[in-house]
Amino acid sequence: MTTYIQTVGLVHEASREAGRRRRRRSEALAGYAFLSPWLIGFVLLTAGPMLASLYLAFTDYDLFGAPTWTGLENFQRLFTDPNYLQAWKVTGSYVLLGTPLKLAAALAVAMLLNTKRRGRGFYRSAFYAPSLIGASVSIAIVWKAMFIDGSIVDRISQFFGAEPGGWVGDPTRTLPMLILLTVWQFGAPMVIFLAGLKQIPTELYEAASMDGAGPVRRFVNITLPMLSPVIFFNLLLETIHAFQIFASAFIISNGTGGPAGSTLFYTLYLYQRGFVDFQMGYAAAMAWALVLVVGAVTALLFRSSRMWVHYSGDAR
Amino acid sequence: MRHNKLALASVVAAGALALSACSSAGGTTADPSSAETFNPNEQVTLTLTWWGNDDRASRYQEAIALFEEAYPNITVQPTFSPWDDYWTARSTEAASRSLPDVMQFDLSYMREYADNDMLLNLQPYLDNGTIDLSGFDPSLVSAGVLDEKQVAIPTSTNTFSMFTNPAILDQTGVAFPDDATYTWQDFNQFIADTTAAGATTDDGYAIYGSPDYTGTFWFFMQWLLQKGVQPFAEDGSLGFTQDDVVEFLNLTADLRAAGQTYPQDRTVALTPVSGFASNEAAAQMNWDNFLASDSADSGSELALHQIPSIEPGEKHLFLKPSMLLVAGANTEHAAAAATLINFLLTEPEVGAIFGTSKGVPADVVQRDKVEAAPGSIDAQVIAYEESISRDVTETVPIPVKGYGTIEAKWKTLAEEVAYGNLTPEDFAKQWFDEAELAMS
Repeated sequence: MTTYIQTVGLVHEASREAGRRRRRRSEALAGYAFLSPWLIGFVLLTAGPMLASLYLAFTDYDLFGAPTWTGLENFQRLFTDPNYLQAWKVTGSYVLLGTPLKLAAALAVAMLLNTKRRGRGFYRSAFYAPSLIGASVSIAIVWKAMFIDGSIVDRISQFFGAEPGGWVGDPTRTLPMLILLTVWQFGAPMVIFLAGLKQIPTELYEAASMDGAGPVRRFVNITLPMLSPVIFFNLLLETIHAFQIFASAFIISNGTGGPAGSTLFYTLYLYQRGFVDFQMGYAAAMAWALVLVVGAVTALLFRSSRMWVHYSGDAR
Repeated sequence: MRHNKLALASVVAAGALALSACSSAGGTTADPSSAETFNPNEQVTLTLTWWGNDDRASRYQEAIALFEEAYPNITVQPTFSPWDDYWTARSTEAASRSLPDVMQFDLSYMREYADNDMLLNLQPYLDNGTIDLSGFDPSLVSAGVLDEKQVAIPTSTNTFSMFTNPAILDQTGVAFPDDATYTWQDFNQFIADTTAAGATTDDGYAIYGSPDYTGTFWFFMQWLLQKGVQPFAEDGSLGFTQDDVVEFLNLTADLRAAGQTYPQDRTVALTPVSGFASNEAAAQMNWDNFLASDSADSGSELALHQIPSIEPGEKHLFLKPSMLLVAGANTEHAAAAATLINFLLTEPEVGAIFGTSKGVPADVVQRDKVEAAPGSIDAQVIAYEESISRDVTETVPIPVKGYGTIEAKWKTLAEEVAYGNLTPEDFAKQWFDEAELAMS
């Protein structure tokens, strides 16, 4: 009797288990079905091409004929190519200078906008506008027109006694020009900073003021630590974004990366190798080198974040 | 299950696409006897593309309007872009086998595209009379033949000349040397004197003698020919050495050091218009057909002279078959494309529309139709090509594989030299490295 009951119980249990499994499977299927638009896009438009480019990185491929396997040759060439080093120099300077400046501008404006004053909503939209249109081709053209010979910037600097001549043809001034362009587009990190600032409890500031802390002290000891997760988030996004600069440099240098290689950004050089010189294999190798470096930089940022990012509720 | 079928169907479709892409690669091997003439009852849209400035675009628009009038069932969709962007766009189209039906083409890129079966063999359409080249010099027709396929047909010829701006010569008071006998040194002296005259434009920009002529690969080839060196050997290898490159770049080394050639930063700022066409330089070496567009950009009257030489009077010029017309091998309307090519090459009115802006027309009827009013730009160019005919002693250097790339590299590296970032020796070394990669 007991064995019978046990058996029935087991069978019952087993069938319930099977039902659960079936249900789980159908749930998983439904999940994948809902995911499928993204999944198909990811496989066809991202993963597939990435795998193809990984293969191409080890080949000699000129776009027209079939690729021929060359092993590590493309990667070895990276180390002896003077333009490749130049591309890293330009991109590195851009990332190291542009990103911190942009974040500083974003934080400064966010703090100004965080105070209660009239027209706050208007200013918020106005400051955000450049980053809405910033990536577009037209803004790069306008930027070029603003800095070229005989432009507004040229005239203003002549008024202050500078030699005539715009920034566009001067290799020492093209990079600053592009950094200014990216700094001007601080809107997106600004909005995120603003949201972060609103999260900081005002009691902290009140208590600090009561203890006699001035504005600088309050900024360093309250705002920065409380905002550090948001700073980290913005830093990560903007750094990765900065590595990928292409459109504005392409427009301003007519796709040459000039004058004298001063705007030869990594992706621009990659594009030139691929679509101007028809060295697709080499370009693919460059793309993968970039993926590795950006990945390493991201990992480093995450590693360092343990030292300076404070999440509320942390013991530190 | 239905999903699976759908997926299967789409995989099959994708496979079919890939297959058709592969098969179109061999599309140039059409049997000559099977070439069709254009069916006038079929509605067809052709894409046509060229490089050039606004002036050229409006001339093309006029020609297209005439064509559409003559062939009401063909619609032509034109696009155009500047030289550099033009080839980038073509390369991506070539990779996806979606080249325009008809393209303006250059010798520089002909081998690259023809070797990969990107260009339609036009021979069947010559054979069946769709394209009528009876008014062409046979040597010009053969300039478009590679591996026994007629992949391109030149619209015109052009050759090197020296442009001067007479208004600037008056302003600086520096006389241009006797162009029949002057050497590169004489020309350098002219550049130095003109710049030293210290004249400025109304906007306050300094006037220079000339841009640095060593920055253009074609000029280097012209100079090599004067030196008795053939730029490319029969087997497609380079006929010159790094020393030749250094020697050529050093022709203007003193001028560069003294800041007497037209400044590179200003060139960059003015792009796509040249400093010469902006009336800020007295002279510039160029293809003679550029007289039309440079005059249009400059707005003032320009003069044509002969180029300098190494030995006085020994010019060693060549006629370059240019503005070739080709059809993409992937075209679905080959007969219509051939019809358009024939119209652009031989229709007398088209000759009148373009004048000499694409060079002196190759077709004799078009050439006669160019209304060359005495003193006009067209008359100047035609008179120039006639006057130098006994100096045309060389044939155009054969385009080698990767030519377009090595030409572009020359320009990029020359810019570095102009900014003083690269010595002529480093230039030569880097350029040879790039050439080796591009030509292999």
